[in-house]
Amino acid sequence: MLLAKTLTSSTFKLALIAIGTFGAIVSAIFSYVYLSTSGYVRSRSDRAIMAEVADLRDVYERSGREGLIGLIRQRTSDKVFAGHVYVLSDPASAVLAASAGEWPSRTMAAAGWSEFRVPAAASERTGRPLVRGMMDILAGGDRLLVGRDITDLDDFTGQIETAVIFGVSLIFVLAGVASILVTRRTVGRIEQINATSRAIMASGLDQRIPLRGTHDEWDRVAENLNLMLDRIEILMGEVKQVSDNLAHDLRTPLTRMRGRLEKAYHGQRLGEEAQTLIGDTISDLDAVLRIFTSITRIAQIETQVRKQAFRSVNLVEIAREVVELYDAAAEQRHSCLTMAGNRQVLAIGDRDLIFDAIANLVDNAIKHGREGGKVVVACEIMNGSPVVSIADDGPGIPADQYEQVFKRFYRLEQSRYTPGNGLGLSLVAAVARLHGARIDMFDNSPGLQFKLCFPAPGTQRQ
Amino acid sequence: MTGSHRRILVVEDDPETAGQLVEQLTTSGYQVDLAGCGSDALSRGAACDYAVITIDRMLPDIDGITVMRQLRDDGIAAPFLIISALGEVDDRVRGLRAGGDDYLVKPFSFVELLARLEALGRRSETIAKETILRVGDLAIDLISRTASRRGTGIELLPREFQLLEYLVRNEGRVVSRAMLLQHVWDLHFDPSTNIIDVYVGRVRRKVDDQQAYPLIHTVRGVGYTLRAPG
Repeated sequence: MLLAKTLTSSTFKLALIAIGTFGAIVSAIFSYVYLSTSGYVRSRSDRAIMAEVADLRDVYERSGREGLIGLIRQRTSDKVFAGHVYVLSDPASAVLAASAGEWPSRTMAAAGWSEFRVPAAASERTGRPLVRGMMDILAGGDRLLVGRDITDLDDFTGQIETAVIFGVSLIFVLAGVASILVTRRTVGRIEQINATSRAIMASGLDQRIPLRGTHDEWDRVAENLNLMLDRIEILMGEVKQVSDNLAHDLRTPLTRMRGRLEKAYHGQRLGEEAQTLIGDTISDLDAVLRIFTSITRIAQIETQVRKQAFRSVNLVEIAREVVELYDAAAEQRHSCLTMAGNRQVLAIGDRDLIFDAIANLVDNAIKHGREGGKVVVACEIMNGSPVVSIADDGPGIPADQYEQVFKRFYRLEQSRYTPGNGLGLSLVAAVARLHGARIDMFDNSPGLQFKLCFPAPGTQRQ
Repeated sequence: MTGSHRRILVVEDDPETAGQLVEQLTTSGYQVDLAGCGSDALSRGAACDYAVITIDRMLPDIDGITVMRQLRDDGIAAPFLIISALGEVDDRVRGLRAGGDDYLVKPFSFVELLARLEALGRRSETIAKETILRVGDLAIDLISRTASRRGTGIELLPREFQLLEYLVRNEGRVVSRAMLLQHVWDLHFDPSTNIIDVYVGRVRRKVDDQQAYPLIHTVRGVGYTLRAPG
């Protein structure tokens, strides 16, 4: 999990690009060192061979073929010239004198440089030493080959080559391992912050990102995020305090007010007109109180306290009860309210709240759907998660207003004059948040479909 | 209820609300004692045998729930009606778990309070073990779950029967919308719509349409009552 995240993280991708660039530069430098070193060593031995060829040519020109043969024989037996190869042949390639025992026929072709192996007998070495030689055609048509055993040189460049390959590979491996380790650490810290953020979104503001005490940049990020969370918590607390106080302080005078009105309503000497007036005032007061109750209820749901009372509930059962309750309301609008889907869909939650949420959605679907239309409530399991969907075939709402409708007191232009207070869907949203459920809205063409997607039971309790 | 069982203890700290309660309950024929704080409630509650005790959740000295627990521990069997200004379900549930028998959210209508008090007071009476209940020409059979008027069957859905049964059991008393939601649907909140009215409206059409007289009556601002004329 963490490794997969490490490998897909942007830090790791950046590290790979850096390793690639760095590795290419190092390889280029090493290749240059290798080429120039081996080139330098080779050109030195080549210059020595050329000098020797010039010496021997002098001897040939001064003392003739016999003189050169003598010199070659002398040098062959001389220890100082061990590793030197001399071959002299006549124009018909018959060997006249040779230190290497036999004439490497391959090199007879033309004058110039060549590399070849000679038999081991030519020196004390085992194996066939590698010789680099230069052939020259002398004045009388005789051919002279002068060479040097370059086995040592070859070994040397071989070693450099190995060192370069090994070094470059080692750099790549070390850089790869280092970048995985560093990225893993980074991803680990980020993942920790992510996990805490998710937990906060799921269960409330009481959690904080753990600090490592290393006072590094990660600790500072965590510290600042924690400070931000503290601040949000304080603000939320203040808002809640204000609404709680408001709720409490307003309820007492409202209770008195309602009491007085009711007393007046039931009073003896009251004209019919006055009684109607008071009756209407009481209904309006009750409407105010209902809005009030809805707001405190949403605020209370958002404190997440009710999560403690969650248990396994059958969504189908709840939906059926809602359908049963709203059947009469649908009938009044000549609409058809039906159930569809599975017989049992289990979810973890609070029955009353889920009932309330589904009831609000069904109520909306009946009210804002087509008169004489169809409202379908379906419970099913989609990709392992329990889903309740409520669909109508009414005019629907524009897709750009999908998000807006969940705001408190938000009302669409078209529904401004139907009864309601614009709190229903924000309550649905609060209930969904409490349950960790997702609300999806779809165009039912025609109409609108709401989907409440609950987390699969078992995944919710961590 | 007998005369001695119309004695009620009201625990309420707001003087004006308390005054209104005492006045209206007295007018309705109750004998009312008033306690202004928790300690007062404890001493009065233990001293006298009340039909019902109404108690405010928030009191200046001792919490209403604590008072109730204490009185229960002292062996006081009177049913409690918790009046909560918080209006939050967990508070209600906590109240009920602690031994409260019903709850009401402030601000409440007096008729609603009266309906609750009547329902609570009735608990102590013996519950009839009849299987067929009758009101006027309506008869409901609790075994076969069927209803009829003048011998003609009324077709009801199971939930509609439950609603009618609740109204019949509370014959002559006012039943509020919240009480219907609580007892018929087991819902402890008010859906902020007129859904109950619509539902009762349908039951009423089935029960009262083309009959000699209506049985289900609307009580303005509160709820419903089922009663035979005369």
